[in-house]
Amino acid sequence: MLWLDKYRPKTLDRILVHEEIAQNLKKLVTEQDCPHLLFYGPPGSGKKTLIMALIRQMFGPGAEKVKVENRTWKVDAGSRSIDIELTTLSSTNHVELSPSDAGFQDRYVVQEIIKEMAKNRPIDTKGKKGYKVLVLNEVDKLSREAQHSLRRTMEKYSAYCRLILCCNSSSRVTEAIRSRCLNVRINAPSEEQIVKVLEFIGKKEGLQLPPGFASRIAEKSNRSLRRAILSFETCHVQQYPFTSKQAISPMDWEEYISEIASDIMNEQSPKRLYQVRGKLYELLSNCIPPEIILKRLLYELLRKLDVELKHEVCHWAAYYEHRMRLGQKAIFHIEAFVAKFMSIYKDFLITTFG
Amino acid sequence: MVMGKRNSIVVLSSDEEDKDYDPLLSSSYTKSKSRSSSPRTNSRGVKKARISGSRSRLCKESSKLNDVETALFSEDFNEVFTGCKGSAALGRRTEEQWVDKYKPHSLEELAVHKKKVEEVRMWFEERLRPSKDAFGNHVLVISGQAGVGKSTAINVIASHLGAKLYEWDTPTPEIWQEHLHNSRLGVQYTSKLDEFENFVERIRKYGLIQSSCAKESEAPIILLIDDLPVTNGKLAFGRLKKCLHLLVHSARVPTAILVTNYGNTDLADHSARCLEELQLSLESAGACKVAFNPVTTNSIKKVLVKISQLEQCVVTAELIDLIAKASGGDIRHAITSLQFFFLKPELMHSLSLSSPPSISEENELELDNLGDGFSLQFSRDETLSLYHALGKFLHNKRETEKAKENDQDAFITGERLARLPLKMDAPEKVLCQAHGQPRPIADFLHENVLDFLSEEAIDDAWTVASYLGDADLLLATFRGMVGRYNEAENVLQSAAASVAVRGVLFGNSHPLSSRWHAIRRPKLWQVEQTSLSNKNEMIRQRLGAHTELSSSDLSVVATEYAPVFKWLGHRASEHLDAPEASVSDIYMKDINIDNMSLDDQETEISDGDDDIEDW
Repeated sequence: MLWLDKYRPKTLDRILVHEEIAQNLKKLVTEQDCPHLLFYGPPGSGKKTLIMALIRQMFGPGAEKVKVENRTWKVDAGSRSIDIELTTLSSTNHVELSPSDAGFQDRYVVQEIIKEMAKNRPIDTKGKKGYKVLVLNEVDKLSREAQHSLRRTMEKYSAYCRLILCCNSSSRVTEAIRSRCLNVRINAPSEEQIVKVLEFIGKKEGLQLPPGFASRIAEKSNRSLRRAILSFETCHVQQYPFTSKQAISPMDWEEYISEIASDIMNEQSPKRLYQVRGKLYELLSNCIPPEIILKRLLYELLRKLDVELKHEVCHWAAYYEHRMRLGQKAIFHIEAFVAKFMSIYKDFLITTFG
Repeated sequence: MVMGKRNSIVVLSSDEEDKDYDPLLSSSYTKSKSRSSSPRTNSRGVKKARISGSRSRLCKESSKLNDVETALFSEDFNEVFTGCKGSAALGRRTEEQWVDKYKPHSLEELAVHKKKVEEVRMWFEERLRPSKDAFGNHVLVISGQAGVGKSTAINVIASHLGAKLYEWDTPTPEIWQEHLHNSRLGVQYTSKLDEFENFVERIRKYGLIQSSCAKESEAPIILLIDDLPVTNGKLAFGRLKKCLHLLVHSARVPTAILVTNYGNTDLADHSARCLEELQLSLESAGACKVAFNPVTTNSIKKVLVKISQLEQCVVTAELIDLIAKASGGDIRHAITSLQFFFLKPELMHSLSLSSPPSISEENELELDNLGDGFSLQFSRDETLSLYHALGKFLHNKRETEKAKENDQDAFITGERLARLPLKMDAPEKVLCQAHGQPRPIADFLHENVLDFLSEEAIDDAWTVASYLGDADLLLATFRGMVGRYNEAENVLQSAAASVAVRGVLFGNSHPLSSRWHAIRRPKLWQVEQTSLSNKNEMIRQRLGAHTELSSSDLSVVATEYAPVFKWLGHRASEHLDAPEASVSDIYMKDINIDNMSLDDQETEISDGDDDIEDW
């Protein structure tokens, strides 16, 4: 088991990073008054951990017995019926799924599942009708229609189920949904907090941590606890005992992008652009999201860039990122950015060095 | 189209007409005809019997409804028809379509290449011989573009061999109103595919029932399937394929299946691909295949000259040449064009018989007009292959000098934005001719354009990339939300194609001097596929071992878990629980496979390249 899973806090009491939020949530649940919840925050900040712990708090250890299921829903959509295949994670009391995996059909999924949950309500020990919890991941990636239909179903079936929504950016969730939920912002953990967690794990595993090592990992992790723990484990695999000078290797795709960046800096020509395209394809076919590629690429380029160009380059990166979200094929826009950068940089080189 | 032709034959080829024409024909023509007349009339007879049969069935049905109405209808029909005929007859004699009138009646007259004719003839001869047990298959597939004489060749060969031609009775398509009417009468609707299947089934089981065709049972029979039923959707297509497969395996009668190729224009066209697949499957089932090439200009010319002689029309060699070239190897089209062209001169001819010189002048005038090329009334619409069109766009040929006078008052552009005039039609027109779908066009341009930019022109590369991005935005706008047949969508799509093409033309301001380039298929398509399969793999993997993983975001899995798993690699198999280890192993393998498959596909692409040279 990965350390990440091994040392994931199972209950709200044991949460290390967002203790305050955890305590508030606990109070909220014990008072039997649970509204719909919307968790949002950057990746690796502990949203999912909090949600799992919260569900456990609600339903007891039974909620940990989850089964994974690949289910097919038959949905009647007007004239035809559609089969939608989706992976769900469910216990007796909750269902978790990522409706955005269904692509265009996401709206049907949301409606259908909630309706189905409403049909078979669990009855708790006191004979009172209880409710189920539906955890929806990546709500910000839901299409607009799906969000609208989610809103309707939320109102209609609020007696039967509670929704826990989880996303990175609340700005891409419609106002209507946000106002129907209790919004919980989960901040990225500070570096000190990450160090604390790493040291905790180190102690449990019985490892010797040289001074400053944990903080270097924390620094490289971009304030993502998940990344910190993953790279901690990787370092452990690569070399143990740790030395204080030990290199903390970045993710392979990040290395690849920095390679692309230096390619771009070295030569600016259509031919090189074509080579860059080949490398970008490599990244895309390994499912690295194009937004992340562009962001990382910009980051790498800025590191090597003269100050006076930074502003302009950022402007174009933002411009093409926006167009990429509107458009369909990301490569067209990433490539346009690269070409623009090459053109700017070449001009710059010619004017400064003649 | 085939249907139309057949109908016209049926209606026009009554016996009297045949008699009428005989005197017109030159001696050689009649001779050849008389030689082959008996089997031909036979085949006609069969055809007629068949058709009248089907018609009488129809009549019966409708007569139940209303006798008077039918009578009226037929009367009207006749009137209209003879009216038509009468007006056509004004010119000189009773007119017939020249295509039918000068149908070849002997092997020598066929405009198809001799070798091909011989090949087909040999094939049939071998199978028609009494000792025919030696051959496993009895199916011949003849392919070729429209109007190269596939059906005619079969007809002629059949009559040459003294065989009877038995055709699949292509059912007339039913329109909705008809269907409503029929269903009220209690006539069940059977799909055309069903009918075809039944037909094939019958043929396989019983062969042809001799008595139903004609009395003399000695004459050998050739089965001709000219019109494969149209299939829509995978299921129907599969049925058709299976059905034809069975036919190939078990046919006892020599059978010819004609397949019309609709040019090589459409890469993305679904139906064309279907046809191709069908041909391949037929071949793999053991059918023999003969491909008819477009008729050569020379043989078209020969035929045209002969016809014009027979028709006693004065015609210049240039005109014949022009028609032959414009027809693009479609002889039917060439002959019709000739006939059309002579409709007017004919009148002239009859009016001013006394002064032949004026006619030739007239003709020359006409020809001059034609030479200008502003309206080739008789030319087939030219189609370009997609690769050809792409080549035009990518090579970006321009005039060397700007025509200053014309442009000055029109539009003043800055120095930087001005481009020399294009050496081609408007890009939109070229797109139309190539039947380009906007999305593939954009993808192809994107894939290939960088090869055509000059070494230093990174600014151009940016301009082009930016315009292609614009095209992508336009293409993506209504994705999935508005119906596909929406008007606005169509406009958007064509606008996107236009932006992409013009962007490429405009952006490439310093085109390379033309040299040989291969046009690649967009690698993007592959990347999309592999990324999709990788994604599915990840989803499955998520399912496999880690319950915690299964709840996390795909992008997180791709960017964070996957690299870690790679590092942990083999150590994982010792350390982790068995199922998890296997998962990470699978992942490793998968990555390898993907790399490999990418390479493979790359080589595949380069094989499949269509070469464009300088146009």
